[in-house]
Amino acid sequence: MSFVADYLHYTGCFGLVLIGLYIVLVKSNLIKIVIGINLIDTGVNLFLVSVGYIQMGTAPIFSEAQAAGREMVDPVPQALVLTAIVIGVSVAALALSVAVRLYEHYGTLDLSRVRELKW
Amino acid sequence: MVSPILLIAVPLGLAFITPLLGLLWEKPTRYLPAAGMAFNLVVGLLLLPRVLQEPWVVRTAGFPPPFSIHLMAGPLGVALSLLIALVGLLVAIYAIGYVREGAVARYHTLYLLLLTGATGMVLTADLFNLFVFFEMLCISSYALVGYSGDRAGIESSAKYLIQGAVGSSLVLLGIGFVYGLFGTLSMADIARHVGSISPMKVFISVAFLVTGFGVEAAVLPLNAWLPDAHSSAPSSISAILSGIAIKAGVYAVARVVFTIYGAGTIPLLLLVVGVLTLLIGEMSAFSQNDIKRLLAYSSIGQIGLIVFGLGLASVSGVRGALFLVVSHALAKALLFLSVGYMIYRTGSTEISALHGMGRRMPVSSLCFTIGAFSLVGLPPFIGFPAKFTVIMAALEKADPGFTALAAIVLLGTVVEGAYFFRIVQALHFKAPPEGAASEQTEHGEAPVSALVPVCLLAALIVAVGVYPAVLTDYLGPAAMDLLDKAAYIHHILGV
Repeated sequence: MSFVADYLHYTGCFGLVLIGLYIVLVKSNLIKIVIGINLIDTGVNLFLVSVGYIQMGTAPIFSEAQAAGREMVDPVPQALVLTAIVIGVSVAALALSVAVRLYEHYGTLDLSRVRELKW
Repeated sequence: MVSPILLIAVPLGLAFITPLLGLLWEKPTRYLPAAGMAFNLVVGLLLLPRVLQEPWVVRTAGFPPPFSIHLMAGPLGVALSLLIALVGLLVAIYAIGYVREGAVARYHTLYLLLLTGATGMVLTADLFNLFVFFEMLCISSYALVGYSGDRAGIESSAKYLIQGAVGSSLVLLGIGFVYGLFGTLSMADIARHVGSISPMKVFISVAFLVTGFGVEAAVLPLNAWLPDAHSSAPSSISAILSGIAIKAGVYAVARVVFTIYGAGTIPLLLLVVGVLTLLIGEMSAFSQNDIKRLLAYSSIGQIGLIVFGLGLASVSGVRGALFLVVSHALAKALLFLSVGYMIYRTGSTEISALHGMGRRMPVSSLCFTIGAFSLVGLPPFIGFPAKFTVIMAALEKADPGFTALAAIVLLGTVVEGAYFFRIVQALHFKAPPEGAASEQTEHGEAPVSALVPVCLLAALIVAVGVYPAVLTDYLGPAAMDLLDKAAYIHHILGV
């Protein structure tokens, strides 16, 4: 049990990734799938931030960390997450606009009923 | 001397200018992609002799490596960006006349972004930067697949987007693991320290990265999106997706496996996956009646062959794989482009509608035949020396297992020959369908803007096939760029 407690943040982010993956794999409504993709993204972003986290660390501002006499958290993963959030938003926007067009053509968002192309 | 950073900056800048110009005056936007790619071609040709002697490491922010993001313009990076520029230029010329309906300026913006992403991927020396360029490539290709806005396009765009987005998340997860383990994102710095970490931890991160990039590379269990996406996109986009986009995915897998992690046992996996991808791709292509789906499945088969060559993990194997990358990019672009106007004229993608095309569109049909023969691997086309190098590399191992795999690969080639000869026969020797003859006068050959790139591609395929030395001189250094981990670390970090 102590493992889960010590690594609670990792458990949380992988939990989110798995929930998202479950939604993408099981649900057939495109909007729900987009939500699933967003959950995966959120989980991954939280994972990235927690990789750079230090217990009791301050914000990565050099002068403030010195004044407080504490260590700073790693700023690089935070920069990565900012980029990853922007990418995630653009994928979500594109996915939703595809959903709009899909609804115009098929009158449904249920992907199990949208299968004109086959292997 | 021009800096390699222009290879990324100029197309990216043009991509931002295109929609602004499109607001004022839409007509000239169609020439911008061609202009950008022509610029890249010239810059690449200027850079090539220099980077063959000494790779050029560009410090984008002024800090010495391993800090900040760097570009590594080595023989492989510049050679691949030249290939991207060449195919991109020819497809852009084709698109000037071909793309006339819908949001033309947006099409060209996305097209430029796609090529910027691909060029950035092959030049960057930073793992997260690789991911960013990868996402640029992916997002613009999702949008371009659905560009025409018809039912098939939107459906395949949705499928591609879902699978691609999950794949990208896996890549990002892998990057998170790598950063947690090594505290750095510079590929050379990771490669330097990879030996000091326990193999199990390394395996987890490499598994995420290879799986994520494998979705775009369309290796076997991850390629369900490809036949739909490549067949539903406009022909010019199919050409660039088959010719460039999947190669960028393969490049990312190869870079991660060979340069960062240093071979190990992963090439064995690549070998098996490659052969399976080849067999499934070729056999599925054999049973298709839709010409574009057939070409898409044939792309899967060729990717299998490329991954097989990489999986050999020898210098000659990787050389063969890179040769195949060039030959498939040229041949598949040629096939999609030449078939584009045949589909446009007949209004159908069924192979039966193409009967007798040899008489109605002689130049396109001839060029299609050249591309098909090159893919099958007949001499004197470029496909022959490429396939020959891969098979020879497999036999060089002097191991019965590798010889058996080479035999399976050749079996795949036989299947490939069977379906391509069927189409070539249909094009040249079958009578056109009823009613087609009367339309002959108005529905003739494709316009000049389409014939020029098609003929140029055909000429290149024949020229390199007759005289492969123009290419093979560069393949050796490019293969070493991928395989020689120590030299890669030395060039970037100076240790």
